[in-house]
Amino acid sequence: MKNEAEIRRPKVEGRRKSEDRNPKLESNGFSAFGFRPSFGLRVSAFGLVLVTSIASASPINFNRDIRPILSDRCFACHGPEPAKRQAGLRLDLEEGVHGPLPKHPDLRAFVPGKPAQSRAYQRITSANPDEQMPPAKSNLKLNDAEKALFKRWIEEGAKWQPHWAFVKPERPALPEIRNPRSEIRNPIDNFIAVRLAEEQLSPSPEADKATLLRRVSLDLTGIPPTPAEVDAFLADKSTDAYERAVDRLLASPRYGEQMALRWLDYARYADSHGYQADWERFMWRWRDWVVGAFNANLPFDQFTIEQLAGDLLPNPTVGQRIATGFNRNHRINTEGGIIAEEWRVETVVDRVDTTSAVWLGLTMGCARCHDHKYDPFTQKEYYRLAAFFNNVDETGIGDEKLGNVRPVLKLPAPEQQKRLDELAAQIKEAEAKYNEAAKAKADPKKDKAAQKAKQELDKLQAEHRLLDMRTSTMVMEELPQPRDTFLLIRGQYDKRGEKVDAGLPAALPPMPAGAPTNRLGLAQWIVDPANPLTARVLANRLWEKFFGAGLVKTTENLGSQAEWPSHPELLDWLATELVRLKWDLKAFQKMIVMSATYRQSSCDRLVAADVRRRASAVGQADSLLTSAATSLYEIDPENRLLARAPRLRLPAETVRDQALAVSGLLVEKLGGPSVKPYMPAGLWDEVNVYGNLRVYVADKGEGLYRRTLYTFYKRTAAPPDSLMFDVPGREICAVKRSRTNTPLQALALLNEITYVEAARALAERMLAEGGATPAERINFAFRRAAGRVPNEAEAKLLRAGFERQLERFRKNGDAATKLLSVGEMKRNEKLDVAELAAATMTARVILNLDETVTRQ
Amino acid sequence: MNPEQHILAERLKVITRRHFFARCASGIGSLALASLANRSLLAAAPANPLAPKPSHFPARAKRIIFFHMAGGPSQLDLFDYKPALIKLSGQECPESYRKGERFAFIKGIPKLLGTPHAFARHGQCGAELSCMLPHLATVVDDIAIVKSMHTTQFNHAPAQLFMHTGSPLMGRPSMGAWLTYGLGTENQDLPGFVVLASGGKAPDGGSSLWGSGFVPTVYQGVQCRSQGDPVLYVSNPPGFTPADRRRSLDTLNALNRMQLDEIGDPETLTRIEQYELAYRMQTSVPELMEIAKEPPAIHELYGTEPGKASFANNCLLARRLIERGVRFVSLFDWGWDSHGTAKNTDIRSGLQAQCDNTDRACAALVKDLKQRGLLDDTLIVWGGEFGRTPMNEDRHKNPAFIGRDHHPHAFTMWLAGGGIRPGITYGATDEIGYRVVENPVHVHDLQATILHLMGLDHTKLTYRFQGRDFRLTDVAGHVVKELLA
Repeated sequence: MKNEAEIRRPKVEGRRKSEDRNPKLESNGFSAFGFRPSFGLRVSAFGLVLVTSIASASPINFNRDIRPILSDRCFACHGPEPAKRQAGLRLDLEEGVHGPLPKHPDLRAFVPGKPAQSRAYQRITSANPDEQMPPAKSNLKLNDAEKALFKRWIEEGAKWQPHWAFVKPERPALPEIRNPRSEIRNPIDNFIAVRLAEEQLSPSPEADKATLLRRVSLDLTGIPPTPAEVDAFLADKSTDAYERAVDRLLASPRYGEQMALRWLDYARYADSHGYQADWERFMWRWRDWVVGAFNANLPFDQFTIEQLAGDLLPNPTVGQRIATGFNRNHRINTEGGIIAEEWRVETVVDRVDTTSAVWLGLTMGCARCHDHKYDPFTQKEYYRLAAFFNNVDETGIGDEKLGNVRPVLKLPAPEQQKRLDELAAQIKEAEAKYNEAAKAKADPKKDKAAQKAKQELDKLQAEHRLLDMRTSTMVMEELPQPRDTFLLIRGQYDKRGEKVDAGLPAALPPMPAGAPTNRLGLAQWIVDPANPLTARVLANRLWEKFFGAGLVKTTENLGSQAEWPSHPELLDWLATELVRLKWDLKAFQKMIVMSATYRQSSCDRLVAADVRRRASAVGQADSLLTSAATSLYEIDPENRLLARAPRLRLPAETVRDQALAVSGLLVEKLGGPSVKPYMPAGLWDEVNVYGNLRVYVADKGEGLYRRTLYTFYKRTAAPPDSLMFDVPGREICAVKRSRTNTPLQALALLNEITYVEAARALAERMLAEGGATPAERINFAFRRAAGRVPNEAEAKLLRAGFERQLERFRKNGDAATKLLSVGEMKRNEKLDVAELAAATMTARVILNLDETVTRQ
Repeated sequence: MNPEQHILAERLKVITRRHFFARCASGIGSLALASLANRSLLAAAPANPLAPKPSHFPARAKRIIFFHMAGGPSQLDLFDYKPALIKLSGQECPESYRKGERFAFIKGIPKLLGTPHAFARHGQCGAELSCMLPHLATVVDDIAIVKSMHTTQFNHAPAQLFMHTGSPLMGRPSMGAWLTYGLGTENQDLPGFVVLASGGKAPDGGSSLWGSGFVPTVYQGVQCRSQGDPVLYVSNPPGFTPADRRRSLDTLNALNRMQLDEIGDPETLTRIEQYELAYRMQTSVPELMEIAKEPPAIHELYGTEPGKASFANNCLLARRLIERGVRFVSLFDWGWDSHGTAKNTDIRSGLQAQCDNTDRACAALVKDLKQRGLLDDTLIVWGGEFGRTPMNEDRHKNPAFIGRDHHPHAFTMWLAGGGIRPGITYGATDEIGYRVVENPVHVHDLQATILHLMGLDHTKLTYRFQGRDFRLTDVAGHVVKELLA
């Protein structure tokens, strides 16, 4: 046991749940290893602390150890951008690193094996301020550890490698695990376990079944399991019980809705145009296509091609054309006095930036105004990419203001088409009537009959136009003759430079053989197995979905400034696995959730002090290493090593959907026009005095209880509780969400109508179906929200609270009635008012629990 | 330590001590002991990203009130007096000015437009001001007028974003977010960054003007509204008493503490703290809004009418906010877009109405802060997103109205308090006020200067995003030393 660097309880099947979840150690368990964490240990622990730099024993890896420093500290003046380049030196290329210095051909920046002859090393270690690199005025610095890394790298041969993410991933061999300390369920676990073993850590035991089912249900569908589902799962002792639960969740229509959440962020999807007036638009058919595509498990390559270029496929289906709305979800400016071409350019630019961020994980937008400062992309290459998106028959401004802007696809339902036809006929009649009335009159504007006819005509035309809009969706369509595309100097629409053709950056592979040089070819290139980025980007983001952080933490950027992956081989294995699975997203995610890594407990546990220094390899701040860290949450607070499962606050949408689901209010209906749940008065009117989206009127009935995915999103006045829980602004593509914890969230969960009403609805269920005693009723509500039975102490606290409230509401029936009046749903009159109000207060506490809003 | 490391270190203290109490004490007493430990930590060093943090160097200003007169107030009719322009009024704008220029609305060859307003000199400093600003005239010796502001943007939303976030594109943190990220805030019962808006409409740049961009959303501005809940969802559901609120929260906290002891995730502790802060906000926010309790002399000074949404009320609220230790208050007032297309945008009647509505309260705020000794360490900034053209826009060829188009090349702002040299006028424009000819101050320079006054080096206040260190002033900006006292 001495080799066991950690102290933890053995895994015991069938242990009582509350114990199983408890990482606390009995004191005897502690002292057996001599690690009783007394005050004395803390002091001595401080004495023990060692701050080491990266893996001092292992050889230097250029991409892991050196390139990030070069990129961060040197590329600004010695990188891809020629305008800022000093002394002609490029350290982003091998010839710059090893070749003769452009200004001093007799010298070299780095000479393998010879630090003393390496001019760059001499400059970075120089004590002379005029000599020293980086120069003081750059505000950039190299610390001693970093300088030492350079020295070691030179001594070891100064080997150079191209940026890892631009090289096609090779499928690595599975690391062999001798004497596994934990279950290996699939290859993911091999990669995770081998790294943990290097750090003298072992994985956590599997989470208890109830926690696991709640976790996987929330992750895959965004809806917690019902008590019946939990019961069935707990009772199912067969070996494939978990797998069957996963299959059931993946087959649920809720899965597609959950997958769509982040895709809508990526696609900057909204129900309005944005900018000043922020008129309404109608793009929900595209949103429904996305949900449907995920549910149908459309392979990701096809999913990509249809959204980027569905219109260019041979005989495209209606769905394939709707899918191209992806690149029409950008904002559209309708302001008066603006220059259409300027905004058309903004639209094209938005498509380049969005497409490269979503699929390639690149910050291509940096190259709009100048060559990229870190990545090997020139400004000209940026505009060659722009040329793919420059051939849409569009004006750049919202000429119609209200509604969809051409090109559109018209999709009226039969009854809508009937109404459109009727209107068209009526318009014809009204026109004739008006012409008749106006003909004889000198000034029709002053003639009463002519005016009446005109009003009638206007009314009919307005209805026709609106219905026509509402039944359309914006799509991509190519002009028969492509537009000329120019490099735009400093990115300005009216400062045209040289003319460019559509094409790909030289640093990335060429088009696959036979692919056309248009959007379709671009889409095929993006999902071609030769593309080094797409599969890594997707695998990394799906990993982030389940583990809270990507293997590369910068999921938004896999370029030169990307963080070195915590598990590079695993990332490449996953990327190649995606391709091997033919981009089957359900199969890929099933593999993740089936892994032992995913199924670990998220509880903290104690680990021995001497593992602390190893954590530095995952790049944590030095300050953490100087602590007397003794627990997993301390040595690896970001959980990059995955010695436990992460504990994550639920996404905004899931927080609300869960409250609706556990209270029984949720209306599970797929798709359709966006809905308007409760919102405080006046929010729409604060931002603009133009446009048609003013005076918000909440829906009645089911619109209040649909999944948050379907909530109407006005860009300039987004649903406030979504914003509070970190839904991005949807002005531009956002591939990353923050996960904050703020007082405004607490206020929303405590006081917003949705949550107060959900508490009441849950209370009604407690009384109606939760059993006869307060204890049973509390158990009922707790199980629905947290997926488990409360322990005795928890139940006691809740019961005491309930009794206190009951007493108060018995004395003050008026207060009870007031509380029960919140929300549209009529209260169940058969239930005792005081009891229901007291239960509402209890349910409100349960819905606000840290555990309830967290997936653990 | 940079702010991020500071947060980590603070957090670490809490975690370490929590474990000391929660884990080491065994048996029945552990829960109570843990609770006790956490409670004392809450007061001492909470793992709170908004906890006050040291500045880079000693600060001259501790807090900021930023007046944004949205639309672009006409510097030529308020501050930058140009007799030559009056003389040339009605003549065609010379080609030398128009060449290579683009305007938002002006088409063809516009005519020069001198100000129809009288100007006079005021105070010991002799600053020149339009007669539309009689109240500001009484405090000119306390303010610094900068006539040489210039920007790169000439449409509202991008120009406003540029002023507040340093970039014309959406997605960057605003100045208030940068400052609360860098310095935290002194009152943990109120948000550190508060936004007030008047004029019937939010500015064109929308909530991105007080957004947090890529820094954590705890740093974003919280809008204090004049109708409904002043802070969203701050009111209890009906049928509640304050005692219920406390008891309910006590139960919730006790349950969350059990969770904390069981799982050990520090995030649970943060959540407990956030619920406590929310609880305190439910008291502090309504108390803050009670301006009716101010003495009559104060209402007289500001021109405030309790219960009525107005710019003046917002000014008084701004004072109450900074008095309570709020770091950054943004006041937006809409209606300064004097195109001259209708009566309310005419530079005579429209601009006069805007001044009538705001002049007294702005000056009152300077006086009130001064009499309370708060002006020394409170920085006031007043201005718009750009200036207005020396030419008549004349969009509708309607001689009934006169107005000016958007103008990025020159505009005026004023600053006061918080380390600003009082009673000076800085920078100058050419004879018709078209371009800056002396001591230009770019928007990034202004931002660098504001950060400097707050004790922050604008090149060192950075946040890493997409693998690169971003800052408010992008890659530019110089502190304008001449503006410092």
